Amino acid sequence: MRSISTRMLAVVVGLGLVPATIAAQQSTTITGRVMNDANAPATGVTVSIPELRVGTQTDPMGQYTFTAPATATGRTVYVIARRLGYQPDSAQVTLSGGTVTQNFTLRQSATQLTGVVVTALGIEREKSQLGTAQQQITSEDLNTTKAMNVVQQVQGKVSGVTITGGGTPGGSTNIVIRGQNTLASNNQPLFVVDGIPVANTNGGAGSLTNRGGGIGNGYDFGNAISDLNPEDIETFTVLKGPNAAAIYGSRAQNGAIVITTKKGMATQGRMRTELSTLYTWDAPGRLPDFQNQYGQGAGGSFSYRNGAGAGTCDGCDQSWGPKLDGRLLCQFNSPGAGTAGCTATPWVPQPNNVKDFFETGHTMSTTLAVSGGTDRANARMSVGVDNIDGFVPNNSFQKTTGLLSGQLQVSPRFTTNGVLQYVRNNGLNRPGTGYNNSIMEQFFWFGRQVDIDALRDWRAGSGVNGGAGGREYNWNYNYHNNPFFIQEANRTSDSRDRFIISGTARYALTDWLNASLRSGSDIFRFNIDQQFDPAFLNGTYVDQSYAGGFNFISDYRNEHNTELMLNANRNFMGNVDLTAMLGGNVRRETFDTRTTSTTGISVAGIYNVSNAAITPTLGQTITRRNMNSVFGSAAATLNNYWTVEVTGRNDVSSTLPEGENSYFYPSVNTSFIVTDAVPALQNNWLSYLKLRASWAEVGNDADPYQLATTFQGNANQFGGRPQFTLGNNLLEPNLKPEITNSTEGGIEVGFLNGRASLDMTVYRKETENQIYLVPVSPTTGYANKLINAGTMRNTGFEALLNVTPVEVRDFRWDLTFNYGQNQNKVVELAAGVDRIVLGNGLFSDVRVEATQGQPYGAIWGYDLRRCDGGAIDDGLCTTANLGQQLTSGGFPLQTDTMVYLGSIQPKWTGGLSNQFTWKNMSFGALLDIRRGGKLMSYTNYVGLYSGVLEESLYGREVDWNNPGVLVQGFDVDSMAANNITLTSERYHQSLFGATGLTTYDASYVKLRELRFGYDLPQNLANRVRMSSVSIALTGRNLALWTDVPNIDPEFAYSSGNFQGVEYALPGNTRSFGISLRVTP
Amino acid sequence: MSNRRMLLGVGITLSLFATACDPDGLTDANNNPNDPVDAPSATLFTNSARLAAARWLDGVNGTRYGFLPQHMAQVQYPDDDQYLAARLGASATANLFNNSYNAELKDLDILIDRGKAASEPGLWAPAMVLSSWEFGVVTDVFGDVPFTEAFADAATLRPAYDPQQDVYDSIFVRLDEASDALASASNELGDGDPIYGGDPASWRRFANSLRLRHAMRLANNAGELSSGRVAAEVTAAAGDAGGLILTNAQNAELEWPGNGIYDHPWATNFKSRDDNRVSYRFIEIMRTLNDPRVTVLAMPAETPLAEIDSQTINYCPSSPTTCYVGLMNALTHDEASPLLPNTSRVGEIFYPGVTAYGVFGGTGGAYPSRFFTAAETEFLLAEAAQRGIGTVPGTAQSHYENGIRRHMEMLGIPSTTIDAYIAQPAVAYAGGTAGLIQIATQKWIALFTDPIQAWAEVRRTCQPAIVEPGPEARFEVLPRRLQYSTTEAAVNADERREAVVRQWGTAGGDVMTNRIYWDTDTFTAANPTYVAGCSDASQ
Repeated sequence: MRSISTRMLAVVVGLGLVPATIAAQQSTTITGRVMNDANAPATGVTVSIPELRVGTQTDPMGQYTFTAPATATGRTVYVIARRLGYQPDSAQVTLSGGTVTQNFTLRQSATQLTGVVVTALGIEREKSQLGTAQQQITSEDLNTTKAMNVVQQVQGKVSGVTITGGGTPGGSTNIVIRGQNTLASNNQPLFVVDGIPVANTNGGAGSLTNRGGGIGNGYDFGNAISDLNPEDIETFTVLKGPNAAAIYGSRAQNGAIVITTKKGMATQGRMRTELSTLYTWDAPGRLPDFQNQYGQGAGGSFSYRNGAGAGTCDGCDQSWGPKLDGRLLCQFNSPGAGTAGCTATPWVPQPNNVKDFFETGHTMSTTLAVSGGTDRANARMSVGVDNIDGFVPNNSFQKTTGLLSGQLQVSPRFTTNGVLQYVRNNGLNRPGTGYNNSIMEQFFWFGRQVDIDALRDWRAGSGVNGGAGGREYNWNYNYHNNPFFIQEANRTSDSRDRFIISGTARYALTDWLNASLRSGSDIFRFNIDQQFDPAFLNGTYVDQSYAGGFNFISDYRNEHNTELMLNANRNFMGNVDLTAMLGGNVRRETFDTRTTSTTGISVAGIYNVSNAAITPTLGQTITRRNMNSVFGSAAATLNNYWTVEVTGRNDVSSTLPEGENSYFYPSVNTSFIVTDAVPALQNNWLSYLKLRASWAEVGNDADPYQLATTFQGNANQFGGRPQFTLGNNLLEPNLKPEITNSTEGGIEVGFLNGRASLDMTVYRKETENQIYLVPVSPTTGYANKLINAGTMRNTGFEALLNVTPVEVRDFRWDLTFNYGQNQNKVVELAAGVDRIVLGNGLFSDVRVEATQGQPYGAIWGYDLRRCDGGAIDDGLCTTANLGQQLTSGGFPLQTDTMVYLGSIQPKWTGGLSNQFTWKNMSFGALLDIRRGGKLMSYTNYVGLYSGVLEESLYGREVDWNNPGVLVQGFDVDSMAANNITLTSERYHQSLFGATGLTTYDASYVKLRELRFGYDLPQNLANRVRMSSVSIALTGRNLALWTDVPNIDPEFAYSSGNFQGVEYALPGNTRSFGISLRVTP
Repeated sequence: MSNRRMLLGVGITLSLFATACDPDGLTDANNNPNDPVDAPSATLFTNSARLAAARWLDGVNGTRYGFLPQHMAQVQYPDDDQYLAARLGASATANLFNNSYNAELKDLDILIDRGKAASEPGLWAPAMVLSSWEFGVVTDVFGDVPFTEAFADAATLRPAYDPQQDVYDSIFVRLDEASDALASASNELGDGDPIYGGDPASWRRFANSLRLRHAMRLANNAGELSSGRVAAEVTAAAGDAGGLILTNAQNAELEWPGNGIYDHPWATNFKSRDDNRVSYRFIEIMRTLNDPRVTVLAMPAETPLAEIDSQTINYCPSSPTTCYVGLMNALTHDEASPLLPNTSRVGEIFYPGVTAYGVFGGTGGAYPSRFFTAAETEFLLAEAAQRGIGTVPGTAQSHYENGIRRHMEMLGIPSTTIDAYIAQPAVAYAGGTAGLIQIATQKWIALFTDPIQAWAEVRRTCQPAIVEPGPEARFEVLPRRLQYSTTEAAVNADERREAVVRQWGTAGGDVMTNRIYWDTDTFTAANPTYVAGCSDASQ
């Protein structure tokens, strides 16, 4: 690189001589008036020149005045007027050095086809000149309602984006744009804040806790992107795939999300304050429909003795017991329970025992921002505080964010700006996830007669900790802990301290060329501190023979980027605008995770390493990645209607072998505004027509340390003996980068005098040379081999329709519909490999895989052997033999091997937003729609097996000697029609393993957002010395329509690539709130 | 600031930029600081021995295999016991096959190669013996398995399956080679060997005893018997100068630290799960033979039921209220779960103290896992002597009684009690077919903590004859093998298919009810035999 740098230096030095020849200039005053479409003055409108970072707000008369620096004189810039609730307007003005008058009229229009938008690398461009698809969400649209993670606030608003969640409060969120690209690595987009890539990780490897949640054990600590305060976000731009994001190179394979934060303005030295505050009441999204007719037990019988099996099924955790008819039975909470003198109490249902476990959660969120400045310096500072008291008992979250940004014009040519963001994010007692750990888990292995209120005081019993043998007071001592005990006795806390900092220096070399240097880091330390009471039953975390256990995790992450760019912007011959950019980037990434855990401490209550009775298990994983890049782009616009842009980037990655680690990605795109090229086409019906097309190639390097198989040490010595084993992955010293080719074409139409707009894109992208582990025969000594092979394809269509169907006097109705349809196909894996497993279900009875020829995320499981519909051709099905194939005992037979149950991929996703405005009032509703895609539900599977769900009532009889399920089918041995009636219990339990029965079409429609707002009339607001005061009632996830029984189909276990399997999640947070937003 | 100073600033920044682009620094970042490219041999051996014991001796899921020879029965969720495909089928047991190969067998193979390259028999021979032990288990569980091409070369990604006969041949050859080499080997492993501390003489006894086990495993295959191979191997093993494992002090066993991190797998399972009970069949045998071991291997039921019925059986040796109650295998869920308090858990010696459902035992975490015991050697010798296979010292009766004695001593039964037990008419050695049945029955009892071996012997001898599938079992014979790994079906399909067709023809298939090479039901040799009628039909 040395020689290149020297040359670059020479170029810069050479160019640097130019400015000295330019004469001194005058500053320009920009002034004007902003009216709304009702021809009334619009107050509180921000008018600014974003690229110069100068601007102001209109006064009550709609007037504004501000000054552009002398250095910019002669330049042609965009002046933009924005106000919440209005369509931004922009105008091109040439800074004359005197006074320029520019008036605006703001329309309350849904049409968003033109205007300045943020693109890759944070560069602001005119949307009409872009040849790629992207969708920008404004601060207002983003903050309609409040969720714990900014990504959730985007749900339903962007076409072609699929967002799923881990399902616990504060848990992680998975976002995939236009389908999955890579078979085995990250499929989520790159996040960039103010030009600095930021992490969205939820943790390192090698820890005891599966911190993204897990199918067996885990705690979901959420993704790091939840650190951002949505109120600080000015624009949230989704670059939909490799085309728009190509300039980011390797990391743009899955698209990018480019976020800019709000900045200060030149306000003639006056301070400007903004306050937004919100309060919500939160509840679990959906709880199952439980049966309330039969209590704990098996075979219809139950008697309580010690809750651990000494009575009849009092250690059982199923509800196949006696009818809840008020009969008198000794129960865990009966007087004298556990003794011979137990007083029987009525055996009655507790219909709300699960619902009553949860509390009403409360969220209080406030952001206060002050900003101000002069034409040479400005700053904005905000402080945001979230206080969330979760709906799970004893669970809470706090987030404090501080954002300071400032700009200083050092000299007429030299400006600097800096952004400093600090976040402290705390979680306390996050509920566990997975089969052995979920807080909801025991409600599916449950006695329906259990009085939840009796469990609230887990110290209530007579034993040491309330219950016998050091245990807490509980209804069952065999398998479960008292859920209140879990939330109170096991203290789990996590905290992340994070800095996102950047500094930029920009120097205008000439009036058409500038150089900028940006350097910044995303740095965080994340600590998890988990303490486990010895009575906690999960042996993964604590050994009951000791006084408790702990698990401490400390992550340190630092990603540093330094970027140098030369930007040129020049007009030739009056009708060709040329924009060019050349840059270089150096990226250094470090992730260091350390864990200390033990399942046994000596003295109760002291959760400290020095108190470990079992030698603590120590772990450390350091991951480093370096990348050097050179990139550039050039765009030429002819007559403002035809733009052609080419980009290129060359990455040199540390994770690939020398010789293969330097790779180049090109892209090209074009946009053509037909209605500007042929103005005659414009009429009342058609106001705007643009065509665009793009081709891009980007790729991805490997994860670090994938070139050579290493020995792995075991953190624990075996009786003082160290242990090593050769790694199970046969790694590959000759890796090549993955390549994604993507082609897209789009059409943007504005019609009905701008009252409607339609933005449509078709795309096809294909990722080849995938770097992933393919399973090999374990008899080779390895489980997997890392290869460069395989192809996955996504083709799709997305559309965004904005219409204002009604606009009469004070009333208007805006409608937005977004639609995304993606077909994914695993075209090819490696030679001899037709599947790779992405994840296995709880009992090895379901798996999700990438199967050759199927969409990514194929669900495989056991199904019943049926002769009706979808008959299996095993020679047993004839016209005489119908129905299910049964054993001679009348039990349904299952398939011998797993069968394909469907794909997780939705057919289409969409969002429908309606906004009604009447005078100062507005009402908006957002429906989030997903059609198709399969989901295997362990909640239903387990709940039917254990007899707690309402559907398990099927075939139950009061008289257990006269049971009730007669399966329609035939005995495969005798071929005789079935005449054996089974008890409901035996029938349902014989379905164990038949995961096909609880695999559902995961379609849903959700009322994602609801908002009723009221803006104080202008004169009233002015009277309290405010320019705008708005109050709103908001609701989130208030309704769900789905055919999937008992669960919220939006969720899966993990935030990774293993999707499509669910168990015991409380569902999306349903919240109702009130918000206040004040601008002076 | 003047423009010139500005330029200086830009220049300095660019120089820094250029330094940061240093290409060596770039790729150095990919040197893995977490895991080494090499590791000491002893550390691989320790890890392999631990994994082999945890995987096969006591079951990956604690007691998962205890139900196969019906030492245990499942009282809650008896799905495994019912042989449900979802619990016992190819998918559920895939990791057993997979991880045996890609974890400990691979590392042992590395040690054999390393030891041979360095001419260190004290390293490669113990690795070869342990590897043979596990290959023996793997082939006995699945049938034909990859051997010759396993671990051969990273380029051979789809190893062929060797016929079981050939795997056995290789095991015999390897054990012979190891035994010979150990005669003059020095201790290379030292404390890294958690079984014998690297002692070559001990490993040699293990090698010879293992050879005896595998020889006798073939003894019901008419072809193997008539060819004289069984006899030759028995003679070679029994006559080797290194000797056999004949005292409990010589047992090949791995002591668990019992420190909360590495506990005996049963103890780990019992801490949180209470799913298993002693089987009806085990208590039935204990009761028939008035066996004092029941007090060690089982705990009295908390609330025994009064009567024997088809679901439970009581044995109350000392008082009518202290009863050991066996649970029938493969009941339905609703039949089995209410019997939780009425049936016997396994003995306190296996319990770690505090569990989720009460306090039982205390030292179970440190209970050893036994790869091979003196009792097994004696029963092997007893059968060989009784049937006249090869040349073995001593009489069938002495070996039979020694076998009982070694096992009872291991459990701490006083010698007077042992004498009285052996003196009982039902236990006293009867000779002939009755004697062979006695030998097989006693061996089945003595293999209580090695259910995989006990299952193999039940398959081979059909003894105890009362062991047969429970009422709700999904098929009507005992499982004769486990299915091949689903991973193999996916990535080594051709080789797997060839092995399946070779063993069971095109119609037979990879099912649990198909018999493997040595598990023949057509034995008709002239020797006195107890296998008559040991066929699918009689079950």
